Amino acid sequence: MTTATEITDTTVREVTEWLFTEAELLDGGKYREWLDLVAEDLSYVVPLRVTREREAETDIVEGMTLMDDDWDSMEMRVLRLETEYAWAEDPPSRSRHFVTNIRVAAGGSADELTVKSNLLLYRTRGDVATFDILSGERHDVLRRVASGYRLAKRVVVLDQTTVMTHNLALIM
Amino acid sequence: MLRDELRQILEKGLRDVEADWTVPAGIINDPEMHDAERERVFGRSWVFLAHDSEIPERGDYVVRYISEDQFIVCRDEDGEIRGHLNSCRHRGMQVCRAEMGNASHFRCPYHGWTYNNKGSLVGVPAGREAYGNKLDKSLWQLKPVPKLDTYKGLIFGCLDPEAQSLEDYLGDMKFYLDIVLDRSDAGLEVIGAPQRWVVDANWKLGADNFIGDAYHTMMTHRSMVELGLAPPDPKFALYGEHVHTENGHGLGIIGPPPGIPLPEFLGMPENIVEQLQRRLSPEQVEVFRPVAFIHGTVFPNLSIGNFLMSKDHVSPPTSFLTLRLWHPLGPDKMEIMSFFLVEKEAPDWYKEESYQAYVRTFGISGAFEQDDAENWRSITRVLGAQYAKTMELNYQMGRGLYEPDPDWPGPGKAFPMDYAEANQRNFMEYWMQLMVTDPVPHTGNGKVSDGTAAEALARAEA
Repeated sequence: MTTATEITDTTVREVTEWLFTEAELLDGGKYREWLDLVAEDLSYVVPLRVTREREAETDIVEGMTLMDDDWDSMEMRVLRLETEYAWAEDPPSRSRHFVTNIRVAAGGSADELTVKSNLLLYRTRGDVATFDILSGERHDVLRRVASGYRLAKRVVVLDQTTVMTHNLALIM
Repeated sequence: MLRDELRQILEKGLRDVEADWTVPAGIINDPEMHDAERERVFGRSWVFLAHDSEIPERGDYVVRYISEDQFIVCRDEDGEIRGHLNSCRHRGMQVCRAEMGNASHFRCPYHGWTYNNKGSLVGVPAGREAYGNKLDKSLWQLKPVPKLDTYKGLIFGCLDPEAQSLEDYLGDMKFYLDIVLDRSDAGLEVIGAPQRWVVDANWKLGADNFIGDAYHTMMTHRSMVELGLAPPDPKFALYGEHVHTENGHGLGIIGPPPGIPLPEFLGMPENIVEQLQRRLSPEQVEVFRPVAFIHGTVFPNLSIGNFLMSKDHVSPPTSFLTLRLWHPLGPDKMEIMSFFLVEKEAPDWYKEESYQAYVRTFGISGAFEQDDAENWRSITRVLGAQYAKTMELNYQMGRGLYEPDPDWPGPGKAFPMDYAEANQRNFMEYWMQLMVTDPVPHTGNGKVSDGTAAEALARAEA
């Protein structure tokens, strides 16, 4: 057993802090700073789910997703938000990432951790008295680098098959 | 019956759309309009249900909707495509509660009545004790979609048993549908399943946007113009054609601006280009050759987007094909079902690039799609109010500027640019014609009108 796969209290605290900092950046609209926390080989996927019978092995659809981004397309999203014409988020949504049930485990390599967390994302726009909520589970791979951690992989499995918000313009 | 006040709005709207090229704002978000629309528009139009590649094997099914009615669209044990109302004949319970799957039978979880995938009632628990074997099961099959038919892989249903045939309903639109649906030998396949999401917007705004609105690109999608994913030339829609046909259908077909070196035939892979040149007519090939964007709507709520676009700001463009269903959930709410399709015989690299370009631009998270939903929900909210409903909306683009194009090789009424709103007017006019025409149950050929507003008004007043 190597020390790298040992999950210490310190590791859990660091990961928790990282997730909370990330949530703060996203809810504060600091996407450029968020991008600095992302690895250049990023894979960011929101699978498509359908309602299936219990006997079906999975309700996750093969071949189609709700989001499937890499670093380039994520940078495109950020560049888009930096123009004056990203109407879907201008005026911006008010959002709140609630991140709970954080579970940290050893990753596929010595410098990586796999992190599961629950996400409740609240979103409201404009002066209407309504809001949207997305609930799901995040499966992350965090990579240890000299300055901290980088998000190398994220899979967000949403709990709804028919998504109850008018677009996925927010980063989950 | 249509309440007098609604009839007056619609009859004035029909006169105005022809005389003034305006459309009453009150048709967008109004509960009574919506109720009437369910019966008068969705009750007698052919509505897209599924693509046959979604149910390739015997027993495969998906659950889909016409207005609020829910249907199991399946391939039965003989390979035939069928549509059954998803409602048990005993108490109306759903007999299928998954969205998709494979089943030889559908069993009601309430009392156990069981139907095969042909819709026949084949099992009634305790039939002897409860019904004394007197229940004639042949009278209690699942209710079928009154009319079900397919066109080039698209499965449509219609609630009006007297409606004209699907072929006649699609009419001249078939020439253009073939360019999209019938350009390869093995045809198209839906990849995965449709993305589904709910938008607080009226469904007609999606249909209106896709049928003719090239004009919004430079403003709504300006962020993507700045990133180089949409044409920077504000006149780009000049290099296109704006075409509509009978029954409210229409599309826009846009090529690259002069000097922009985009590939022919949407940059489709070589093997597909070879096939389409063989399969399509010379006129269809001529129409398709310079194309970079095709956007259209099959009345009422099926839209097509076949676009050449990049998957990000650093990659070259790839074409992708999306079908989308604007499924009404109320006057101010719709569910969007967005399908991604690709030629079965396209090479894997193209399928992958095409999928990524779709998801990142026109899927639910897509950088283009996001901004459209923002507009439609905002419009819907505003037009739900009392004073706003009295507005006339301006549908006058191109008025007095150009005549139908006599040189266009395809059918329908074509205008030699895509900065026009003839398609949108044609859509809204046909919608209003349906709305003022009282349903005549089970008589005639069910063909409402492909004529003028004046004819529809004369019928309405008769």
